Amino acid sequence: MEIEIPGYQVQTDFFEGPLDLLLHLIRKNKMKIMEIRLSQITAEYLAYLESKKGINPSRESDFLMTAATLIYIKSRSLLPKPENPAEESPEKQLIHTLIEYEKIQKISKMLQDMEYTELLLWRRLEMNENFTNREYALKEVSAFQLAEIFFDIVKKKENEQFLYISSKNYSIAEKQDEIFSLLEKSGYFDFSDYVAKLDSIEEILVSFFTLLEMIKRHLLIAVQEQLFGTISIYKNEPGKLDN
Amino acid sequence: MNPEQIARQIGLIEAILFVSKEPVAPGRIMEFLEIKDIEEFEIILTAMEKEHLQDRPDRGLLLKRTGGGLQLVTKPDLYDELKAFFTIKQSTKLTIASLETLSIVAYRQPATLAEISDMRGVNSTGPVKSLLQKKLIKITGRKKVPGLPALYATTQEFLVYFGLNDMSELPSLEELTELFEEKEQPSLFK
Repeated sequence: MEIEIPGYQVQTDFFEGPLDLLLHLIRKNKMKIMEIRLSQITAEYLAYLESKKGINPSRESDFLMTAATLIYIKSRSLLPKPENPAEESPEKQLIHTLIEYEKIQKISKMLQDMEYTELLLWRRLEMNENFTNREYALKEVSAFQLAEIFFDIVKKKENEQFLYISSKNYSIAEKQDEIFSLLEKSGYFDFSDYVAKLDSIEEILVSFFTLLEMIKRHLLIAVQEQLFGTISIYKNEPGKLDN
Repeated sequence: MNPEQIARQIGLIEAILFVSKEPVAPGRIMEFLEIKDIEEFEIILTAMEKEHLQDRPDRGLLLKRTGGGLQLVTKPDLYDELKAFFTIKQSTKLTIASLETLSIVAYRQPATLAEISDMRGVNSTGPVKSLLQKKLIKITGRKKVPGLPALYATTQEFLVYFGLNDMSELPSLEELTELFEEKEQPSLFK
């Protein structure tokens, strides 16, 4: 449980999101979710947002969204309006979301404890994954990941100055033969290295489509050995991949 | 069954589990050993667990019933030594974002990305993608609403990862509330 000592604050990395921050403020002020004093919470929430303390910059928009909701709720409370019982007020909605989110936090904590006890036990499966042995570490990558890397490379290429205008026409059939002979020689190649060596955007495009087509037809497999690692292209031999 | 027979069965089961990469369904072993009665099988498993944990506590392995199957795993107290031997830096743990996403999927499945993001109050594309990659969740279908968003559910790997036999082993929401309220009560009297 969180213990709050005045004047001493433990800064946990980031608040996971606006709800996390709101729950933190509620606990800090020893309020109950059902009896939130929204004006106080709103002020503190905005102060956090301004100082960017604990605000994950990549999620700033989500934090701003909730700030807008809080201000909207506050403004509504300032302007007395006949209560429409059929319509759920944004305040009730927010409270409901917070109650649900508190449950999620509790379940997460439970899962985390379970994860901890399980991580102490080793299974054969994990061993295989943990080993750096090439045969075991292969994981097939999706077309999306391949495309991501492709666009990265194209971007890089676009900035390069080309000294000549290539008038050569590339065909998928030719590229396929070329890729096969390359694999015959070296067994596999690194996708980024391969594309980086090509001369023009047209050639990269044709090569990329050829690769996609060959992967689709199960002639090749694309594997990534670790997250964010490079992608290698292999000839598809049955039994190479277990999963 | 006499003790000798049981001992032999235990040896066989152990050997099967040792060779198997994934948890083995109890039914398959029962069929193979020609055990018809689940209680009879239970006697063997209990004897096996007793042997691993009590009779010879210095052994390195224990029988684990997980993800609807049987598996041999290393004992928890060997963790540090194993880590040193295999020179593994740090086992990767799930991030809080991933755990939160997983909590929602586990308790509300099937759930869409929009529902997950809504409940967490933050866009959850990242954790969903990483959980899909880790095979802890999978796409089970499409919700019949505009845009046909993908529906996510937990997988067999999820059960294995958290050491569960089946989803019913997760406490219900009511049990969970009781569980945590009990824990929180003492702090009220401080």
